[in-house]
Formats: sequence, structure tokens, C-alpha cells
Amino acid sequence: MVNNVAKKNTLRKSLLVIPLAFAMSCAFNVANAEKLPELKINKAKAELGKRLFFDKRLSGDAAISCATCHDPEKGYGTDKALSPGYPGNGHFRNSQGLINTAHKKVWLHDGRLGTSLNDVTREMITEDYIMNMDMRIMQERVKQDPKYVEMFKAAGYGEPSNGSVRKAIPEYLKTLTSKNSPYDAGKMSDSAKAGEKVFKDKGCVSCHSGALFSDGKAHNTGVPENFDVFLDPMNHQAFIAFAMFQGIENYMNLKRDPGAYVQWKKADKSNMGTFMTPSLRELTQTAPYMHNGMIKTLEEVVDFYNKGGGEDSHKDAAMKPLNLKDQEKKDLVAFLKSLSGDKLTGADYVWSEKYSGEYPVIADWNNKPN
Amino acid sequence: MSNTTRKILPSLITASFVACVGAATTVVQAEGASPAPLAPLDSIKMPIPPDNKQSDAKTELGKLLFFDPRLGGDASVSCSSCHDPEQGWAWAEDFSRGYPGTTHWRNSQSIINSQYMERQFWAGAAASGERQAPAAAKGGVAGNGENDIMEARLALIPDYVKRFKDVFGDEWPLIGNAWRAIAAYERTLIQTDTPLDKYLKGDKKALNEEQLRGKAIYEGKGGCIECHSGALTTNQEYVNIGVPPSKRWQKDGLAQITFRFEQYAKGQTEKGYRKAKSDWGLYYRTKNDWDKGKFRVPSLRYNTYTAPYMHNGVFFTLEEVVDFYNKGGIDEEGNTTLFPDNKDKRIKPLGLTDDEKSDLLAFLEAFSGEEMVTPKPKLPEYAPLFTKAELEAVKK
Repeated sequence: MVNNVAKKNTLRKSLLVIPLAFAMSCAFNVANAEKLPELKINKAKAELGKRLFFDKRLSGDAAISCATCHDPEKGYGTDKALSPGYPGNGHFRNSQGLINTAHKKVWLHDGRLGTSLNDVTREMITEDYIMNMDMRIMQERVKQDPKYVEMFKAAGYGEPSNGSVRKAIPEYLKTLTSKNSPYDAGKMSDSAKAGEKVFKDKGCVSCHSGALFSDGKAHNTGVPENFDVFLDPMNHQAFIAFAMFQGIENYMNLKRDPGAYVQWKKADKSNMGTFMTPSLRELTQTAPYMHNGMIKTLEEVVDFYNKGGGEDSHKDAAMKPLNLKDQEKKDLVAFLKSLSGDKLTGADYVWSEKYSGEYPVIADWNNKPN
Repeated sequence: MSNTTRKILPSLITASFVACVGAATTVVQAEGASPAPLAPLDSIKMPIPPDNKQSDAKTELGKLLFFDPRLGGDASVSCSSCHDPEQGWAWAEDFSRGYPGTTHWRNSQSIINSQYMERQFWAGAAASGERQAPAAAKGGVAGNGENDIMEARLALIPDYVKRFKDVFGDEWPLIGNAWRAIAAYERTLIQTDTPLDKYLKGDKKALNEEQLRGKAIYEGKGGCIECHSGALTTNQEYVNIGVPPSKRWQKDGLAQITFRFEQYAKGQTEKGYRKAKSDWGLYYRTKNDWDKGKFRVPSLRYNTYTAPYMHNGVFFTLEEVVDFYNKGGIDEEGNTTLFPDNKDKRIKPLGLTDDEKSDLLAFLEAFSGEEMVTPKPKLPEYAPLFTKAELEAVKK
């Protein structure tokens, strides 16, 4: 992963020296900006995943569900800079919107999971500062709910198991894809169209490429630290636990988010503070922005890039002042907004039936195999 | 401790002391050996691990940690949540309360005198208090905490940072030392001045007539002393006395969840997971069929405050307990262990009269002194580790 980042950086640096080659590279990327491919969805599995996604019993103390930090009303993220985290602690990063997450190849702001959403689901459910769930207990809770027993069977999973939970939730996540964005529908305003040109000409597309508007790689753009991570002990404890678990040296004195450094821990620390290029789809639903929610509006995001990003000695060489005119900035924002579609709320996406407040008793327990 | 204090005497026992010890018990008492006599608790020494010496600073720290819910998953449950001083340093329901969203599946045992024991937990799963504390703080239906976040929390509490440094010399608190401090604190929670202790040390007025008659039954017709022997009132062996499965598993969905989870957590086989309908006890450690349904003989000390009784809290009063033994390890509805082959041969109908039962119950009261309570300590607070200026000064 980071090997690729390194290669990409080197490649880009050399390209920047040769404007013609750079232009060709842009053209190549633009050609890649196709529509998101259709995903084949198993309805019964996705329906099961939906019920699980909104079920608080999937967390250790049964107080939060996936949807607590991935709220349908907020593009399946939150509108706070930092994710709430598990009760008893806070968090140190922004909760990412999940629309189109099924199209990704690498997940989380630091890209530490590059296998599948099955693994991401496990990480979110079991991590102590996130949902803190012992999956053996989760499995038995699920088995105790007759509706689940029925739904697992209907989905072809047989008896409920934690392995199937980790399959069903990703199946549901496949249903969360961009819907009716002006960009996809070919209904962009003139300003948005002008913005698209700025987007391509000014190099945004070199990282925000492809149908997801992300190269799926980590870069350092110099986003300032969110000091709330370190000044609020609730957040800081989650950060310390994370850094400790990731094996980062001197984690007690760490005063910055290491980002994708956790993947390879390069000796020269040149990948400190690199973060995965986020998708630009559905941005209107997912403010605030950046891995730590430090930028509140898209206008401010554009200003940030216009200045050439923030301060960091390892900032990506591609980050240069853009000298955008006011109109160009407006157009760019209009283009970004055109990448957002409908809210994915309502019964197609959100589990609305109530969950039983108590676990039903399995009758004739003595005579039934567990 | 009982091994070192038990006096191995030639067999001089009466017929009611059926000496045949189940061959399956892990600590085998020599056949025919008589049990250690009851003795004052201060006649034995508290075992103190060489790598965790007692000190006032350590036990003070341990006390704070014992009451601190930040040593748990969602920072809402502490050791004292399930070992509540107001509830006998235990929990006054059949099953321990468990982590929020769960119930436990065994009775919470009192902390009082617990650190004299060779092993901890009902089936002896932990070899020391230092091992018991993390197992409870991290168990999914107990504290559900994890080392990294609990250690991180300690580092953000300046008072703890200072105390850990003073006591253990750590630059930052280490979670392993938290368990050491808690175990050290628990070693101070002992009761050596019960009427029984006073009597055994020569104060003949400490027991009344009724209690003295009860003592004779305890040591004679009742056969209690067979297992509840020595200074600790337990030989610390693992015995199946016939305790029936909890009925909670038949009528409580939450308890059914935990029951199945525990089969996993304790390393049950798939086959065993499917068919288990009671707590298999010592079996989970040994995987020997003959250990199914065996639990460690509990101390009878402090029993006035520790109802309900048995590993699964099936009996809410000592009267029920005595009736259960009197019937030969069968409850009033005729229920007993699901592993009758493993039931200890010494457990048989006792033929106690009502008066004898009442005397025995009176004697059992002598195992407890005054209730031991302590005000919950004021816990130190979190504070940010860095200042804003320090964060602003970072050169990236």
C-alpha cells in the first residue's frame, strides 16, 4: 500500500517537472472518471445487514449501533468534527460517510484495512474504543432473537454466527450508493460544469480521480491537528489506546495523528500525517471535512487548497497554491456539490421496525440443543 | 494454605465421616485422613507473592482502583460494582450483575478473606488475585475492559500517574501493576475477630449453648467439617455436592445468552456447547468428564452478608442450604446436579432434626463478625496531558 504511495509520489514529482507529461496524466485520470459500477445485491442478506446496522445490541453495553456514528441523516457519518466513540471514551477522527464505501478497496482514514468490508465490520464492532463487543456475546445475542434466526435462514446463512454478521453488514452497505447526483444524471449547472474544468485543470483530479474521486492512496496535505483530540482526555484516551495498539513508539508523547504511518512505520517518518484521499461524493451530507473534521464548509476546503494546503515538512509536493479567482472557487464548490445526490433515508435504507426491549426466552430450554 | 495447615492424622473418625474422597478431586486428601480442625483465621498467614509485597501506598492505590469504573469497558463498572461492600463485597442476587447489556452466570463471591485462597473463581480459574482482577475486568460479562484503553485512562489521571510512579517506579501506569495494587488492597480485606475466632482462641463465652450444639453437629453428624475445615473453613478442593442448575436459564433470555457465551469463553467443544444445560465447573479447566459439576468448596466465613449461596446462587437462605445438605444434596423440589455420577459420596441424607438444623444455623452465624463497610473513596479526575501551547509548538 505505502509502497504504492511512495511510487505514486515519486512518479508525480517527476511528472510535475514535465508539464506535458503532467497534462497527459490528467487526461488519463479524467478518462477514468466514469460512473460507479452497479453492485449486485442479495436482497435477503442486505435486509439482514440493515437490521444489524441499526441494532444497538451489536455493541458491548448495547448502547450504540453502527448508525450512532454513521447516521443516515448525515450521509452515514456525523456532523461533529470527531466521532462520538464508545460510551466511556471519545474518538480522535471524523466519522466517515458510508455512502459508496462498498466501492472502496481500502478503508479508514489511515487505510489500515485493505482487504474487505468484512474486516472493517469486525474492526468497528470489536475495537474497544468503538463498539467494544465480544463477538461471541454478539453471536449469542443475535441467536436469541427469533427475527434474526428467521432472517439468517432466509439469507442462506443458516444458524446466526458472527461470521455471517460480518458478511450481512457489508451486503447492506452495498445498497448505500450515490443516487441522483446532478453529476451522474448529467444535470450539472453551468457553474458546476465550469468547476469541473477547474477541478481538472488545477490538478484536484490527480488525487481525486476515478468514479469515486479518490486514488485510494494516502497523502499529506497539511491538515492542521484537531487539538480536541489531545486536550479532551476522553478523546485522548482513545487515541493513546489506538497508538499503543498500533505499536507506535513513544505514543504517550505523540502530539499528532500519525495517519497512514501506522501501515509501514517508515523509519524517516515521511509518511507521518498522510491520510487516504477521501471520495468527493456526497460531500453536502458529510460536513465537517478532513480526517479530523477540522474544516467546516466546502468553501473553506477550497480556500485551504487554494493556499496550497497546510504546514507540514512532509506535505505532498503536489500541494501548491492554486491562485484561484473568486469565480473559480465558486464554480469548484458548485462542481463538488453536484457530486452529491439524495439522502439515503427512508425504509429502503433505514431499519424502522422496533427491536424487542428484552430478549425472548427460548422455551423448553432443557430439551433443546443450544 | 489448607495443605500446609491440614494436620494429617491417623484415621480416628466416626462413621458419619465417610472418608472416601471422590477419586476425581484435584487435591486428593489421603484416604482416611481427618480434616483440619477449625482454627482462628489469624493462625494462618496471608500468602503474599514475592513480586508484590504489601505497602500502605500500594493498598491505598489499590483501593482507589478497586472502586474506579474507568477500569472497565464503558467506564461504568468497577470491581466494586459486582463486589459491593454494601452487599457483602459481593452481589446480592443469584448471578452477579454483569456488564451493562449482559448478566453474569455465576454468583459473585465476597472479597473478604478471598486472598487467603490458593486460587480464585468458583472453579479456580485464576492462580492469584493478581490474575483474578484482570480476568474479571476484561471478561465480556463482567468488566469488558481492554488493557490498552484502561492503561490509557490511567495515564490521563495525574494522581494515578504519581501514585504508580511512587509505588511501582513506572514512568506511566502499567495496567499489570493496577492488578497488583488491587490484589494488595484485597489482602487487607480480612476478618479475624468473628465469634468463632474468639471462641477458638479461648473465649468460651463467644459461642452460646445453641451454637456449641451446632458446632458439634458441624463436626459430627452434619459432616460439614469434611470439606469446610481449617482456618479458612474450606479445604479448597473441587467437589460436586449436587447443586441443581439455575432456573434462570429456563426463563431469562439474557441469562440464556450468557450461558451459551460462557461455553465458548471457557473452551467448550462444539458438542458440549450444544448439549450443556448446566455449569460444568472444573471440567472447563481440566476437560475431564469426572470434573463436571465440581466447584471449589467456598469459605463459610462472612456468610451472614453474602447471600445467596452456591456457585449459581440457587439458595437465598442458609436454611435452604442446610435443608439441601440434609436431603443429601437435593433441593426441596427434588432437583440435583445433572452429573449425579460425579456427586461426592460424602453427600448423603443427614437425618438432622429441626432442632439440630436450628443449632447448626446458629453456629453458622458465628462465622461472621461485624459487617465490614467502607465509604467509597473520592476518585481522582482526568486532566489533559498537554497544554495548547505544547500542541501549538509541535513542528511537523
